[in-house]
Amino acid sequence: MSNFKTILNGIVKENPTFVLLLGMCPTLATTTSAINGMSMGIATMFVLICSNTIISLLKNLIPDGVRIPCYIVVIASFVTILQMVMQAYLPSLYSSLGLFIPLIVVNCIILGRAEAFASKNGVLASLCDGVGIGLGFTASLTVIGIVRELLGNGALFGFRILPESMNILVFVLAPGAFITLGFLMAIVNKIKDR
Amino acid sequence: MAVVLLVIAAVAAALLASVNSMTVEPIAKINEDIQNNAIRSVLVGDSDVELSVAAPVQKGELILFKANDAAGNLVGTAVRSVDHNGFGGDLVVMVGFAPDGTILGYEVLEHAETPGLGAQAKDWFKQSAAASDKGQSKLADIMLGAASAAGNHNIVGMNPGKSNMTVSKDGGDVDAITASTITSRAFLRTVQAAYNAIK
Repeated sequence: MSNFKTILNGIVKENPTFVLLLGMCPTLATTTSAINGMSMGIATMFVLICSNTIISLLKNLIPDGVRIPCYIVVIASFVTILQMVMQAYLPSLYSSLGLFIPLIVVNCIILGRAEAFASKNGVLASLCDGVGIGLGFTASLTVIGIVRELLGNGALFGFRILPESMNILVFVLAPGAFITLGFLMAIVNKIKDR
Repeated sequence: MAVVLLVIAAVAAALLASVNSMTVEPIAKINEDIQNNAIRSVLVGDSDVELSVAAPVQKGELILFKANDAAGNLVGTAVRSVDHNGFGGDLVVMVGFAPDGTILGYEVLEHAETPGLGAQAKDWFKQSAAASDKGQSKLADIMLGAASAAGNHNIVGMNPGKSNMTVSKDGGDVDAITASTITSRAFLRTVQAAYNAIK
């Protein structure tokens, strides 16, 4: 598979949110607005690219018996670095994503890609897989965030579009996340089947 | 096998230590800035009066900041107050009091209240009833049967020594946020606790 195909694969055919249904916890919880969803996606993409690259580099050094602990150490280190840098330089974003930044460690997309792709493929291919899956995750979260923010808050990326009287509060709350995800998944499946 | 894991963990630890040493200062500075801005905002609002904040005094869970103006007169005291029984857990509020106990302002510093409902606490208790009812969504009115037309929920200018700092449902002088009584009770408890601390 060429590297370009690997990237495209992550965005469309193996889209982590709408096709693989991985990482649902941050997907549902952080997409209350478009900017939050996008930031969460980018943060995850950063960790995914770094961990995929490093794990692919180390794949011949790591014995099979301790590979999961090694992967977790690598992933957790990148997440902690991301957390400290965000807290220092992007405090408002950090406070709105809050708890979900350290929880990237247990995001099954990242460990899943380390185990299923990076530990079997070369460095460049693993990096491209990280970019592809990361972009797919970011795009999905941004779309969910756009729908929820528009219907729930009448705004897009913080800019008001609809008057406040047309807000449907439930879309900002937890049930709205499930409803939005379900409908978007149905649309994606419909388009894919054609 | 264990050696490889040990080496990886050691390298990771070294990397984290170096990043931590780089970011520890900016993080401390940002947290201090947030706190200082909140103290200013609750005591003098937007005006650019010179404020010198005295060293914080810890009183139980509450932290008191006394502030003087340039001439050395006491402007008031900002109190960082906490309540653990908000609708979504901890509610942390900075409340500013004039020397006589009148509330000058407040800022919600941390909360986990419901967006659109309890989260309105950050503005609700600063606005007179008319101002916030205009902004409230009609749909919410219909769905929740809002009936907050008459009362008052602006606590700025109130004195907890003279007014009853509980929601009107409990016989107090402050109107709760529509459909968010638990948040409103928790918020007013933080204000009362802050007032008790400066008395």
